[in-house]
Amino acid sequence: MPTPPGSDAPGLPQPDLVAAIPRLRRYARVLTGEASRADDLVQDTLARGWEKRRMWRSGSDLRAWLFTIMHNVYVNQLATVKRDAANVSIDADPANPAWQLPVRANQIDRVELLELMQQVGRLSPDQREVLLLAAVEELRYEEIAGILSIPVGTVMSRLSRARNNLRQLVAEPGPGLRIVK
Amino acid sequence: MRTLPISDADIHAYVDGRLPAASAAGVDEALANDAALAARVAEMRTQNAALRDAFDLVLDEPIPEHLLAAAVPPPSGRSIGVRPLGHRRALPFAFGVAATLVVGFLVGWLVRDALIERAGTPTTFARQAAFAHALYAADANRPVEIWANEEKRLVGWLTKRLGFQVHAPDLGSVGYLLVGGRLVAGNEKPTALFMYENADKERLSLQVRKQASDSGETAFRYAHENGVGVFYWVDDACGYALSGNVDRSQLLKIAHVVYGQLVAADAAGAK
Repeated sequence: MPTPPGSDAPGLPQPDLVAAIPRLRRYARVLTGEASRADDLVQDTLARGWEKRRMWRSGSDLRAWLFTIMHNVYVNQLATVKRDAANVSIDADPANPAWQLPVRANQIDRVELLELMQQVGRLSPDQREVLLLAAVEELRYEEIAGILSIPVGTVMSRLSRARNNLRQLVAEPGPGLRIVK
Repeated sequence: MRTLPISDADIHAYVDGRLPAASAAGVDEALANDAALAARVAEMRTQNAALRDAFDLVLDEPIPEHLLAAAVPPPSGRSIGVRPLGHRRALPFAFGVAATLVVGFLVGWLVRDALIERAGTPTTFARQAAFAHALYAADANRPVEIWANEEKRLVGWLTKRLGFQVHAPDLGSVGYLLVGGRLVAGNEKPTALFMYENADKERLSLQVRKQASDSGETAFRYAHENGVGVFYWVDDACGYALSGNVDRSQLLKIAHVVYGQLVAADAAGAK
């Protein structure tokens, strides 16, 4: 049922919104690599969603819409952090967070996983986002293109570069290794 | 029979399960003839699985209160510019009503996955239920004390020992049949355990006990203990825990069936 334009109806379906939170948190964790920053990002995303609720077309994919907002919020924050950090330190690269792995008790393969996480953390934000939207969120490439506002071809090339870089990193891991963008 | 060159994009789409079946068949064929490519595909798939596996855990975490609050419309007047003036006075009230409705709705919405995922640390009950399930469900020959062929006797006995009417729900609609039941020692009160089994010999257990006096009702909560998933809830001073090694959505579906039948049984008993 479409919301009439200009109406003050809340506009966003609450149950769907609440139901989307776990997925938003997961993707935020993937993006930021850190639990509290991730939840801040989710909160900012929800707040932004309410501000832009008239942009939401009832019946369309709420999650994809929220992901798009989250991506934009994240990119803006990243730009701010980078600008602020530029005068402080050249080592602290906010794009390469020290990833905190969600903890599973008795996780046997934790060490290997931790390595993989660190390597994913070393990817450029662009590549990391595409890889994780495809691998973790299991979205179609067209959906990813929509969320990131880029052509599908760019999604494909970033995905390809992300996986190639990851492969090199896995092959020769090392703390000092950096990917040249 | 020759294969067209497989593009890099095809390989990625193949790994992500996004390649149309016809093209996927071509990649299958190429993989069969190219061990290096097959290894590369396997590696990418493993990475996908590892990433999913790691981050799926976030889905099980409790949702922080402030995020649930952020899902409720903000009681802000910022976006009311288009409203006719006369409506403005009514807005705070309307928002109040809306907020109350929404909060009530959220609290009452027992079956939403999202609220279930607020579950947090497993209670003693969920943990005990998981342990009891792991202990008895793994027992091929003696998972129960009284078998389902004596269901009446089983229910009568457990009702007597627990001090209130218990029911063994019929889970045939979801493919599980009653195996039987037993009494399990609890912290304070004994717990009744009903064991179920499906055609694949997978077992579930439903455990019931009287809750401590001060516990109110709770929505479905989910906990994961030592590989056993547990949905537990408190209703009418009784605690229920449904445990099994099945995935959460399946377990939730069964929990709904159990809950529905218990409510129906209570209603019938109260007449």
